[in-house]
Amino acid sequence: MVPCIQARDISLTFKPKNRDPVTALKELTLDVAKGEFVSLVGPSGCGKSTFLNVLLGLLKPDGGEIRLNGKQITGPGQERAMVFQEFGLLPWRTVLANVELGLELKGVQASVRRERAMELIKMAGLAGFASHYPHELSGGMKQRVGLARALVTDPEVLLMDEPFAALDAQTRDLMQLELLQIWDRTKKTVVFVTHSIEEAAYLSDRVIVISARPGRAKDVMKIALPRPRDYEMRLSAEFNDIKARIWASLKEELVTK
Amino acid sequence: MGLKEKYHEYHRPILGMASVIGLILLWELTLTYLIPVDPFFFTKPSLIGTAFREQLFGERLWRDLAISSRAFIWGFSLSVIVGIPLGAVMGWRRRVEYTLDPLLTALYASPLVALAPLLIIFFGVGLLGKAVLVFLLAVFPFIFNTSAGVKSADPLLINVVRSFGGKELDLYLKVILPGTFPYIVAGTRLAIGRGLVGIIVGEFYAASEGIGFAIQNYGDTYRLPDMFVGIIVLSAIAVALTELLRKAELMVAPWRAGEEIR
Ligand SMILES: Nc1ncnc2c1ncn2[C@@H]1O[C@H](COP(=O)(O)OP(=O)(O)OP(=O)(O)O)[C@@H](O)[C@H]1O
Ligand SMILES: [Mg+2]
Repeated sequence: MVPCIQARDISLTFKPKNRDPVTALKELTLDVAKGEFVSLVGPSGCGKSTFLNVLLGLLKPDGGEIRLNGKQITGPGQERAMVFQEFGLLPWRTVLANVELGLELKGVQASVRRERAMELIKMAGLAGFASHYPHELSGGMKQRVGLARALVTDPEVLLMDEPFAALDAQTRDLMQLELLQIWDRTKKTVVFVTHSIEEAAYLSDRVIVISARPGRAKDVMKIALPRPRDYEMRLSAEFNDIKARIWASLKEELVTK
Repeated sequence: MGLKEKYHEYHRPILGMASVIGLILLWELTLTYLIPVDPFFFTKPSLIGTAFREQLFGERLWRDLAISSRAFIWGFSLSVIVGIPLGAVMGWRRRVEYTLDPLLTALYASPLVALAPLLIIFFGVGLLGKAVLVFLLAVFPFIFNTSAGVKSADPLLINVVRSFGGKELDLYLKVILPGTFPYIVAGTRLAIGRGLVGIIVGEFYAASEGIGFAIQNYGDTYRLPDMFVGIIVLSAIAVALTELLRKAELMVAPWRAGEEIR
């Protein structure tokens, strides 16, 4: 296994003004291999988003080390991009301008970034919507824009924070399939946060169960299902078995606290 | 297209006109049939209409308007140039806000028009004095609204831009500034009204020309219909500026079209 992400004993305590400090992460250790699809599941408030923000370079841990390809993460970088749960689209930008954001901040020439952004818009199934504003899009379309925006700079690592949580069941199924296809084609390393055991089991190479706050990596489960995976596979006994195992581990974290 | 569809297409201006026309009719009919008033003390729309036609073809109205607009444009432009950046810095830098907020709030809340005589003594009865007064009245909505807009910047969007490698200037230009836009538009609306008050009050004191002076002068000489013409021209200008602002807003910020709830 070629490690891409190495997190060692990551601890992080929020110290809000006039409030008690909250220890979100405590000695969280996990590895993600190059090209691997890893999901994090865990109770609400256990620090999953916090961990992604540490990975993204927006938050600095108080203790521990986090490395990307052997190099310490000290801030945001072009090799990583996040798909945000609440989309995070700039309302004053068209779909095209939203997707272009990463290239624009990188200083890429306007004509080049336009071409590249249009490519991704088409790939995301949004051809014909390039000049629409976010308020004119459905939730599923907004998240496609979020995905296209994250992919536009061709990052090595894709971080996804409950990207499909706000979508209806059918759109969600469709987006999962598309994500798998994109992942298969681009060989990106994906760290995916979800509350859905089913989603985690379906998409991932490994599922990591995070404990109740303060978050630690409690259990790691390898999902040995063949790829490419299709929707029917989710009906198999083997798949249900995997789901039951994840649930058993997760349940302990939900009931004890 | 039927009458009904026509109505729906234009119902905004139709309803707006209806209230204005209604008021004019009520005013005219009341003074004609119900309470006949000495025209020396009060007037009615038909007389104002006549005066209006005369002034429209005269010279004085236009000269007065030109004089007043110059002071308004200078003072108002200055308040934009000073108010928006100052408000932006106040919203972004806590220390600047803590330093300036008490002082500016006190000035905003106090009736600045009371300072008019002082300003006129300082800066003279001409363009400068009036422009300063307009500036002082119009600058506060720009400062406070811009500052409120900056403070309401969405932390999620800030994080998005930072995560793609955005530096502080990028945060300003790509998130904070566009986010303040609706606040600034609302501030502009307030500032237009306050700025017009500034012009009028400035011209009430010792001026010898301008639309404010004209209103004052007609009033002093009991030429009520003429005085009302001045007042009506002023409110027409206020309405026109506000309407222009609405049009400009939709042109500059098409994303806002989706935010209207009706
Ligand atoms: N900026 C912050 N300031 C203070 N406390 C915070 C901040 N961000 C997160 N926390 C706290 O840290 C803990 C972990 O939050 P985090 O958002 O990482 O949880 P999560 O696992 O993503 O939860 P969910 O599944 O509900 O999204 C929570 O208790 C939260 O209240
Ligand atoms: Mg979260």
